[in-house]
Amino acid sequence: MKLRAAMSIGGLALFLAAPFLAGQQERFRKTPPPPEPLQQELGLPILAPPTVLSNGLRVSVAYRENAPFTGIELLVNAGESVSPDAAPGLATIVASLFGRGTQGRSAAEIEEIVESLGGTLFVTVQQDYVRISFHVLQESLDRALDLLAQMLLQPQFRDREIANVRRMITSDLQEKEATPEFVAKRQIFRLLFKGYPYEKFASSRDLRRDWTSREILDFFDRYYRPNNTHLIITGNLSLSQATRKISHVLNTWAPREIPGPPRTPVRPPDRDRVCLVDLPQARDASTIFVGTAFPVPDPADRFALAVLNQVLGGSLSSRLLMNLRESKEYANYAFSEVDVFRLGGLLFVRARVLPDKVLPALQEIRKEIRALATTRPALPAEIEPAKTYLLGNFPLGLERFEQFTARMADIIALGGGEELWNGYYGRVMLVDADRVLDAAQRYFLPLPFIAVIAGDRGSLTGQLAALEAYDIYDSQGQFLSTWTKDKKGALHEAGGMRPELQRRPGPR
Amino acid sequence: MHSNKGRWIWGCAAALASVVLFPPPVSGQKAGPPSLFHYRLKNGLNVILSEDFSLPVVSVAVAYDAGSTHEPQGKTGMAAVMENLMFSGSANVAPRQHFNYINRVGGTFNALLMEDRTVFYQTVPSNRLSLVLWLESDRMRFLEIGGRAFEDARTAILEDLRDRRSGDPYFDSARAFDQLLYSDFAQSHSLYGLEGDVRGLTLDDLRAFYAAHYGPNNGVLCITGNFDRFKAQELISQYFETLPRGGDAAPAAEPLALARKQVIKSFVAGSYLSPAFHLGFRLTAPRSADFYTLTILDYILLRGRSSRITRRLLNPEDKIAVQLSGGIEKRRDRSVYKIFVQANTDDMADRCQSALFTELDRLKSSPLSEDVLGRYKAMFKQDFLGRMSTSVERALFLTDFFLSLGDFREFGLELDKYLSVTPADIVGIVARYFSPENSIVLNVRGK
Repeated sequence: MKLRAAMSIGGLALFLAAPFLAGQQERFRKTPPPPEPLQQELGLPILAPPTVLSNGLRVSVAYRENAPFTGIELLVNAGESVSPDAAPGLATIVASLFGRGTQGRSAAEIEEIVESLGGTLFVTVQQDYVRISFHVLQESLDRALDLLAQMLLQPQFRDREIANVRRMITSDLQEKEATPEFVAKRQIFRLLFKGYPYEKFASSRDLRRDWTSREILDFFDRYYRPNNTHLIITGNLSLSQATRKISHVLNTWAPREIPGPPRTPVRPPDRDRVCLVDLPQARDASTIFVGTAFPVPDPADRFALAVLNQVLGGSLSSRLLMNLRESKEYANYAFSEVDVFRLGGLLFVRARVLPDKVLPALQEIRKEIRALATTRPALPAEIEPAKTYLLGNFPLGLERFEQFTARMADIIALGGGEELWNGYYGRVMLVDADRVLDAAQRYFLPLPFIAVIAGDRGSLTGQLAALEAYDIYDSQGQFLSTWTKDKKGALHEAGGMRPELQRRPGPR
Repeated sequence: MHSNKGRWIWGCAAALASVVLFPPPVSGQKAGPPSLFHYRLKNGLNVILSEDFSLPVVSVAVAYDAGSTHEPQGKTGMAAVMENLMFSGSANVAPRQHFNYINRVGGTFNALLMEDRTVFYQTVPSNRLSLVLWLESDRMRFLEIGGRAFEDARTAILEDLRDRRSGDPYFDSARAFDQLLYSDFAQSHSLYGLEGDVRGLTLDDLRAFYAAHYGPNNGVLCITGNFDRFKAQELISQYFETLPRGGDAAPAAEPLALARKQVIKSFVAGSYLSPAFHLGFRLTAPRSADFYTLTILDYILLRGRSSRITRRLLNPEDKIAVQLSGGIEKRRDRSVYKIFVQANTDDMADRCQSALFTELDRLKSSPLSEDVLGRYKAMFKQDFLGRMSTSVERALFLTDFFLSLGDFREFGLELDKYLSVTPADIVGIVARYFSPENSIVLNVRGK
């Protein structure tokens, strides 16, 4: 049997070699081979409704038979949006201090224990929630849960660690603030979410404040409660095993009434605006962010939005890149992104453009966005490659254990379910030109857009003179002035209230 | 040949030229630990297949025996330029389209230039395996090395060299240190070549380098992830079997001799620099018996926040160093241990150096407890298993393993070899390799 197989393979090889030996290339080399049929089933663990323990802690398990690690993801509804208005940044500081001291152990001792478990401990702060990712070798799960319980039940926020975290955050911010992309993104978040809880996520100076251990402990005590938390375990164990282990170590974790979460849905900006963040060091290139916000999209629309984003600026063959870089040569890059939070969604385009092409680039970006909803809807010839990309790329983003657990936890944290997980393939396949056009019209029209330009004011003033109005901010995002055109078309610096104070969320 | 060890079950086919002997198929296999098969085509191409059905993803890595150590004097930079040229188009793939083909299907790709090899790798959805094999076979045999592509590639490498030099103030001292640490030109010159050499390269140089090093007999093709190995075998046969052999592989270099007397040199930079020093020790060949202990020792010295040298030099309460980096630098037939330390003042730099040798002495005089050693081994185990957790990292790992040992007979025992290191082994290895006599120091001072 084996011999026959070997002979037949040898024969095949000789047959295939014949044209090559004759100095020609085989025909099959001339064109790329067609794809095999796509595997329909992803086979991911089911995102079942959680089990709720007596103290209110929700527990989910994602069973992975061959995983050498166990992942513990703790989702706490204590993201930056619940920082007190007077203390933006507090949620970030508290989360960053998680695991940096308990009543019996110093930060260094905890680090050593985590390492001895073959583990890692990371904290991610989002607008709506905090994700604590504690991953350990499979055999270390019990010890990891013991340590987790100590960190949750007996936290200690020593002044030295507060100072260390503050220093770390400050240095991280300083490093980021040197990049125009960060500055521009922060500014567009501030402007799009002005007056909403998400604005606090884009704060900067307040993170450098001297926080007291009392403020930190109070916040932790209020929000880090079982009835405000979802614990997800990924690994080779069942839900009943996980529930038993978790109950054993966290049964004394007491629930408490949690302040109600922010509920004001995000609304679009009320008018088009252009804002310049003056970055004298960005003489060689300007960074542009153009974006809008909208209420939370319907679950079915998320897939159409994902495809729409691919067509607009999600890939290397998307309209923005083809237009701004390949055709007009205005930009080094131009990409778009769609983000969804609990209270709203966000579309933004980011581009790095030549300083003398800022205004034309802005016009092209707006034109491309609106065209998708009006004159040039996405064509099937664009939609199918976009879907191919999304379908192909989805499992690649789940390969690493940390990526797998984080993706699953983020879906759960934002109230998503199987449709974004095992159902992802099927939902993307259903997207067609009608759905994409419908999504473009509903989410891109008639929304005004905010444009932020991070660039050198001196080099840009001439171009900006063509605008009806624009605002200027410093590199920290502090408002400097508004320039508006008079009836004769001359620009003047306008006084009055800061533009971002003129709009507050509320019923319209 | 099968071995069954721990959680990994490895099937290993005998390496027979052009005859493929796979075990009978396991029908309906959808879960379970990754398998492992190796065989060689008639033209010398080594093929490694490792199936893992957990996600519909497949990775392909192709490694060539073509690194900076294969460059003769006066022709450095050829490996780097060649790595770039491999994306510049082949008979049936237009220039720079390799990237587009992979990107369009949602895949990712990259290349890794090393001293002793160059590896090209990509990850794509499982249904596009044939696309990658088509692309890789086309550039393995039909690469089009034209004047324009050559100029572009050379310019890119020269820019890269300039960026590295301007971005790293210790770039030149690191090159000077390599010349002290390694005994021959092939090993000690820069991975990206010398600027003058790169400028002087010709189209003929690159064509000759390609012909000599990019043939199937100098390559390893590794496929990992969710694929059917029988279909994969057919595809490999179709795309690679008919490719002719290239030049013969370069002979292995002589093992690196341990130093017998401490070497201490100074490097004076042309501009202001914080004081720093490079410290190195010559080690044994990778995957020799000592290498397993040396790897665990690396975790004790420099890996993780609680590692000995990190704590000693970067302790927040008594931080004497500004920057610390290092670890084992491994090539196919040799390895060295490198540490780089930057300090604020000359005194601090001296303190760091002395603290470093004190820590090494302490490891000899006060052996680690089993518990403490267990912590470092747990960190190692985490990294080891993490490296096997994605298809692309597994492909790179298997390729590296094969290039180091030439077969997979010992593969099932690999993790245990690291985990069985004892405190006494650590004492012995520090005494053997980390003595002042075997150390090479380059003190760096600015103007």
